[in-house]
Amino acid sequence: MSRRRLLGVSLAGAGGALLGLSGCGTASGSASAGTDHLSLWYWKGALSEKLLATARSSVPGVPGLKVRGAQMPSGEIDSKVRTSLAARAYVPDITVANSDNLATFFPDENEFLDLREFGAEKLRGQYLDWKWKACFTPSGRMIGFPLDAGPTALYYRRDLFQRAGLAYEPDDVAEAVSTWEKFITAGRALKTRGVFLVSNIGNVFQQAMLQSTRQFVDADNRFIGDQPHIRHAWDTAVEILRQGLAARVSDGTPDYNAAMSGSRIATMTTAVWAINGLKDTAPKTSGLWRLTRMPGGPANYGGSYMTLTRYCRDPERAFAFLTWLLSPANQLKSYQESALFPTTPAAYADPAMHQADPFFGGQRPIDVFGPAARNAPVVYFSPYEDTANTPFFQELTNVQTLGKNPEKAWRDAVDGAESALVRVGVS
Amino acid sequence: MATVAESARAQQRPLVRRTSSTAPGGRRRHLGPLLAIAPFYVLFGVFGAFPVVFSLYLSFQDWDGIGNMRYVGLQQYKWLLEDSVFWHSVLNTFEIWFLSTVPMLFLALVIAFLLHSQVRFGGAYRVAYFVPNVTSMVAMTIVFGSVFAQSGLANSGLKAVGLDGIGWLSSEWGIKSAISLMIIWRWVGYNALIFLAGIQAIPTEHFEAARMDGANSWQTLFRVVVPQLKPVVLFAAITSSINGLQIFTESQVLFQTDDVGTTGGPGQEGMTIVLYLWQKAFKDHQFGYGAAMGWVLFALIALFTIVNWRLVSGRRDKETRRGR
Repeated sequence: MSRRRLLGVSLAGAGGALLGLSGCGTASGSASAGTDHLSLWYWKGALSEKLLATARSSVPGVPGLKVRGAQMPSGEIDSKVRTSLAARAYVPDITVANSDNLATFFPDENEFLDLREFGAEKLRGQYLDWKWKACFTPSGRMIGFPLDAGPTALYYRRDLFQRAGLAYEPDDVAEAVSTWEKFITAGRALKTRGVFLVSNIGNVFQQAMLQSTRQFVDADNRFIGDQPHIRHAWDTAVEILRQGLAARVSDGTPDYNAAMSGSRIATMTTAVWAINGLKDTAPKTSGLWRLTRMPGGPANYGGSYMTLTRYCRDPERAFAFLTWLLSPANQLKSYQESALFPTTPAAYADPAMHQADPFFGGQRPIDVFGPAARNAPVVYFSPYEDTANTPFFQELTNVQTLGKNPEKAWRDAVDGAESALVRVGVS
Repeated sequence: MATVAESARAQQRPLVRRTSSTAPGGRRRHLGPLLAIAPFYVLFGVFGAFPVVFSLYLSFQDWDGIGNMRYVGLQQYKWLLEDSVFWHSVLNTFEIWFLSTVPMLFLALVIAFLLHSQVRFGGAYRVAYFVPNVTSMVAMTIVFGSVFAQSGLANSGLKAVGLDGIGWLSSEWGIKSAISLMIIWRWVGYNALIFLAGIQAIPTEHFEAARMDGANSWQTLFRVVVPQLKPVVLFAAITSSINGLQIFTESQVLFQTDDVGTTGGPGQEGMTIVLYLWQKAFKDHQFGYGAAMGWVLFALIALFTIVNWRLVSGRRDKETRRGR
């Protein structure tokens, strides 16, 4: 090969590669184009690895279908899906979306297939009502399919409650702290024993907010974060701080870990998926924790969905794969393998879900999380929820850590949210 | 200097004449070398130049990253000028830059001077000082996160010598100092090596002359080394400014454990320009707004570099004039 020819060939090669990169010339934008399988993007822990291993060779009940999962870092999957959709190339056929992210795709709902076209409505009765409703965009397209749920509960230290002279068995505690006001009263008793009620007030604000059917932006794209439902959550959080019941440490920091394993915090207000984190953070407190109903009522915090992109090469069978993977029987397997809380209530009755957990003194977590999942409110999340709520969390941190005046912080939060929302077309 | 260049040009002359474009086949002769270096320009064009031009285009659009772009003219820039969080982040960035760069360059100079004087295991020190620069920033930030915790090493140290603990991650100047200390830790060794190279270029006679005149180490450093190191100091100051205005990882990782949606820590005192850009573009999917912020940052860095240049080189001109 002459030198000139070599140069010519390599240049042509580079040009070809560039064309390939930009996706020009490929008939389909799917990441699985030209292969014998469908591509699926997920993050570690989002799906059962065992079921994915089965689907890799063939999906039971869907002859000839192979689905190959590709693991993405959980913090990056959203950007990767967005960039591949923007480039219209190498888009996965099937992808997992976090509960925070599904709504951010609403303005671009046409990038995803409407699952009603494949007969999704027939399956409706199997799934939690509020979860099913959350799969729909405001215009009525169903772009998500229910994966897992995040029902919430009050995690509390039975020993610390007992020592403070409070009710300490789960049902009695649920009775005693049925509202946030009673929760604060219990906190005062704990304080006399030198124990904090909560780690920080951000969690309380978050949970009280999720108990409302409305969040920061309504379905008509109007800001409603300055209304009483948010103000109540804010006031509850601020009152806990004012009475000195919060340890004022951020979750996941070394200070938090120290306080948790040192038995200085008596409760956690969070979702089912926090169990494993708690077991890792404070292994020495095993057997001392209990679970009960959340003050103020049940809610859902987190959980995921599965979606089919419009580049999906075989939508009919991809949908058949979703219904197989997320059937009650397989959701049960996913729960046992990866603690993914089922969105199919039928699974809750299964004996396999009624295992006693020694970390909670032999209590069965499903007894608390099952009813919470069933009774969580139907909440509308707008695509701009994060933009709107960031200033509120920020200002609560300022109140908690820098001692900012709560009234001034509230006004700054409302102003901050309003000016940030104007830029995305919410008024 | 001039004579060397002239003689080089004289030597090249016959070569130039032979390949000049008037000769038959001259253009084609250039083609080979040009093609050989083409891959760089192709890659630079695709991954360097195109994104830069595209981000300028993007800053006039409203785009969520997937759907259609909407032309909004200068609206993004207008919003940016009114955005109090943005201006807070600009102020933070400059404060952190000042808190980190000034002590860092001074420390680097002292370390370089010490390394230059005869020390045992000089090579080992050089490696040791460079290690922080090649350590993963995310890993080191996690370590610093526990050092600066309320019950962490930094406060334990302060308490051991009878001082009060500092809210490293919970007070305005605590946050800024913590981030600055991380930047100093990371860059001091790098700059020390640059300074060391500069010091080694100074003729040894100058040091000998200083010693003969009875100068001590500090006098040697400030009277002999520093004046001759001006170009190197200028280089270090400008690169540190460019790096300093792009602080991101330190604040992002230090406060990411806060899962309730805050960025930049309490009071957003650790919110830097690039962190805010990242938040708006990649968390809130406002790519047009992020692009506009990137260009304002570019303008700030350009302005800041010119000021730096004027300050350092301007003083040098004055001094050389005085010297003559």
